Amino acid sequence: MMFDLEKEIRKWKKSLQKHEVFENGLVADIELHLRDAYNAQRQTELTEEDAFRQAVEQVGTAESIAAEYKKNRLVMLNRRSPLRPGRFMPALVWNYIKTALRTIRRHKGYSLINVSGLAIGLTVCMLIVLWVLDEWSFDRFNTNASQIYRVYRNESATQKNSSSTLTPPPMAAALKSDFPEIIKATRFGYWHRQLVTYEDKSFNEPGFRYADPDFFDMFSFPLIKGNPETVLSNPYSVILTEKTAAKYFGEEDPIGKTLTVNNSFNVTVTGVIHNESLNSSLEFDLLSPFVIILKEFIGEDNADNWAFNSFRTYVMLEQSASAENLNQKLTGYLKKYTEEDTDELVLQPLTDIHLFSNLGHDLGNRGDIKYVWIFSALAVFVLLIACVNFMNLTTARSANRAKEVGLRKVVGAGRPQLIRQFFGESILMTLFALVIAFFLLEFLLPLFNTISGKQLASAWQNNPTFLIGFIGLALVTGILSGIYPALFLSSFQPIRTLKGTVSSSGANPLFRKVLVIFQFTLSVFLIIGTLIISRQLSFIRNIDLGFNREHIIHLSIHGELHEKYNAIRERFLQNPDVLHVTASMTLPTNIQGSPGTPMWEGRPPDTKMEIKADFVDYDYIETFEIPLIEGRSFSREYSTDPETAFIVNEEAVRRMGLEKPVVGKRFGFWNIDGQIIGVMKDAHFQILHQKIEPLVFKMFPGWLRRMYVKLRSDDVSTTMASLNKTWDEMNLGYPFEYRFLDEDFHNLYMSEERLGKIFQSFGALAVFIACLGLFGLASFIAEQRTKEIGIRKVLGSSTARIVALLNQEFLNCIAAANLIAWPISYFAMRAWLQKFAYRTNMEIWIFLLSAALGLAVALLTVSLQTLRAARANPVDSLKHE
Amino acid sequence: MAASTRPIILAILSRGEDYGYSIIQKVKDISRGHLKWTDGMLYPVLQRMEMDDLITSKWKLSGESRPRRYYTITEKGRKELASELVSWRNVWQALIRLAKPIPAEN
Repeated sequence: MMFDLEKEIRKWKKSLQKHEVFENGLVADIELHLRDAYNAQRQTELTEEDAFRQAVEQVGTAESIAAEYKKNRLVMLNRRSPLRPGRFMPALVWNYIKTALRTIRRHKGYSLINVSGLAIGLTVCMLIVLWVLDEWSFDRFNTNASQIYRVYRNESATQKNSSSTLTPPPMAAALKSDFPEIIKATRFGYWHRQLVTYEDKSFNEPGFRYADPDFFDMFSFPLIKGNPETVLSNPYSVILTEKTAAKYFGEEDPIGKTLTVNNSFNVTVTGVIHNESLNSSLEFDLLSPFVIILKEFIGEDNADNWAFNSFRTYVMLEQSASAENLNQKLTGYLKKYTEEDTDELVLQPLTDIHLFSNLGHDLGNRGDIKYVWIFSALAVFVLLIACVNFMNLTTARSANRAKEVGLRKVVGAGRPQLIRQFFGESILMTLFALVIAFFLLEFLLPLFNTISGKQLASAWQNNPTFLIGFIGLALVTGILSGIYPALFLSSFQPIRTLKGTVSSSGANPLFRKVLVIFQFTLSVFLIIGTLIISRQLSFIRNIDLGFNREHIIHLSIHGELHEKYNAIRERFLQNPDVLHVTASMTLPTNIQGSPGTPMWEGRPPDTKMEIKADFVDYDYIETFEIPLIEGRSFSREYSTDPETAFIVNEEAVRRMGLEKPVVGKRFGFWNIDGQIIGVMKDAHFQILHQKIEPLVFKMFPGWLRRMYVKLRSDDVSTTMASLNKTWDEMNLGYPFEYRFLDEDFHNLYMSEERLGKIFQSFGALAVFIACLGLFGLASFIAEQRTKEIGIRKVLGSSTARIVALLNQEFLNCIAAANLIAWPISYFAMRAWLQKFAYRTNMEIWIFLLSAALGLAVALLTVSLQTLRAARANPVDSLKHE
Repeated sequence: MAASTRPIILAILSRGEDYGYSIIQKVKDISRGHLKWTDGMLYPVLQRMEMDDLITSKWKLSGESRPRRYYTITEKGRKELASELVSWRNVWQALIRLAKPIPAEN
């Protein structure tokens, strides 16, 4: 048999091809080599067959070569192919920007909706961030903030869930000397308002506070005048805030000037602090050494009185000390000084006071961490709604860009590259929106400040971290809103997009529906929330307090006015338009609890009862028209009334378990043994977050600090003018300053009303953004279905039917959104209402109204588009084919 | 394959482009038959070196009838060769030093 070289080579090749690693090109390489080797062997006069065998041997076995190739392939798999594009191609960036700008320009309407939605969303977010940070910043300006604690009393041993921030005068010094880890301590006290006079100017100062010399070592109030070391060392010194200094001295240098307090003693100005822009839970206009309270108001013998719980105590711990350890050491501490005192002292971090504190006798102007959370959630919601708009419109209109994606892929773009491109576009869009948002923020900030009662004056401008933070926020928004479009658009298969088989309705319509449902769930939730919050607030405003607060003015009777109270009262009563004049210790807006348990006839031993108390004058019951169920009011006809008479409310009678008749039963409090002379109907003398609690009134002329004047309702301003005249005639040396009681009630709920307003406006904006998106989506869908609409019209369908058809899809979504939003809102709002002891009902009509509102708004939005589409002349839509 | 394979191929290609069969022949000539490579194993090595960007290849019709894949050394390949030469020289010097007779102790 003749040796056929070609046949042998074919056979040999086949044996190689058994190994899949040998691609055709590789086999060709080795085949050429084999032929060269064969030719070389032939030179040595071997037979053809032998030369071939030699050559094959020289080349090596298929197995061993295949094994080497296999190794290469493994290495290759772990590497990027040289055919794949680089990660970043600078040359394409310009093209991306151009494409993005072109897309924005070609679809002005959609771009406007996208950008304005994002801009509004970002603005709302930025306002809320500013608000939240402001709330959060309270007391944090103090460099030692983390070491400062307020000491409060936990009264749980005697009264359930009761606590008080009020502590006795000797405590600060005692704590400092008993615990080495306490390095500084100060009292912070208030003693009624004071009349402060400089030359011919005098003002009643409610913001007069007193503190120990350690105060300025602990807190970081910046002194702009005066020496921080010595500023409180002279007992008769005073530090003013800039504003107060300007009020008394104008442009003059206040240092060294003398102010007269209550026409009885002088204080010298030793310092001026700047506190305008500081968020501090400690508020004051004038600050003097605490010893003034002892020397001038309560007597120096009270310096060691552990029962005089009227002041706040702050301590500063060593850097290394732990508050928990100290809290443990404080267990039973008060017993060391007063045996019968079972209260426990607890340290509360300074930075918790504004947002996390809800103690008895707490400072005013506190925030609430709950609202911080609610608003943060609102910010996220609004932003999400804006992001959903972007996703929905971009993916819905994806068909328009399918060809671009296909072409880019064909010329070598990989998916990651396309994803980056689309992310880039959404980020570009949000950065654009951010610029608009900054302008909007500037414009809306004054309005927001009015609503929120804050001073958020462009804090972001002076603070680069805000700016960077907001840019970061925009980037996050861009990524969030771009994530779905980027993944979706980049997944197109070039073969289908270029053939034109990608459906023109864009993304999966189900997903789009889910997004619309999500948006409207949030919107309906916000509508329901807004409605319930407004209802609750108006419920509180209009609740029957159980006493009459109308046409009552109140004046402070501090200092010398206190002694002149009866004279003033007599003079005022001569005015025919004055119905009653009376007085009490505290305002009826918020009567506080009094420590200790009263005694009553038949009280089982060890029974405790927490009771609110106020000291009042004759005519108190009459002035406020508090209905009496039993007995009588305090009366001048009974000489014992100022000494031993008590009036209690129904709740107290219920808790004490007294049988009728209650009048005449023995009752004692504050070591006074007396009897009940009257029972009044329950009325709200506390903030309406709290339930009505037991209450007792007792006459106590020495403690009256507020005078009330009930006016005839006819002509209040004339009456006030004539009272002012009377006041001036009496030459009291105090300015005539008064407030209306119903305003004070209004102010009690001011912060809630403010929050309600913020919630309402942002809720409305959120709904608006959602509608913006719906509008865009509706117009897109109408556009997509132009031909269908044309055909339907040609075949005789009416405009109304076409609108109904087009609206159908959206209405289903809104209905679904309502079904989801109802239970969520129900539980969320129920939780919020729990805060109030007296609350409005969540009636079904609120939910139905929200649904109707949501539907109406959506229907209006959608119909604007669908109606236009339905009324278009079919000739226009059909003539192109 | 031996560790010397890649530097030898690089050294051959540094003198000019070449194709597989010729490379093998040069290896045999230069080493006077001391280096015995299985010819087929050269091709996976060349592929791997191409993957590593040390060499590039191109099909060319030479004077003969057959097309051949010619390999060219790249800049990276030249650098690699230079550093290989340094390290081989170091190995060689180390071996020489070790091979010297150890002085006897007195």
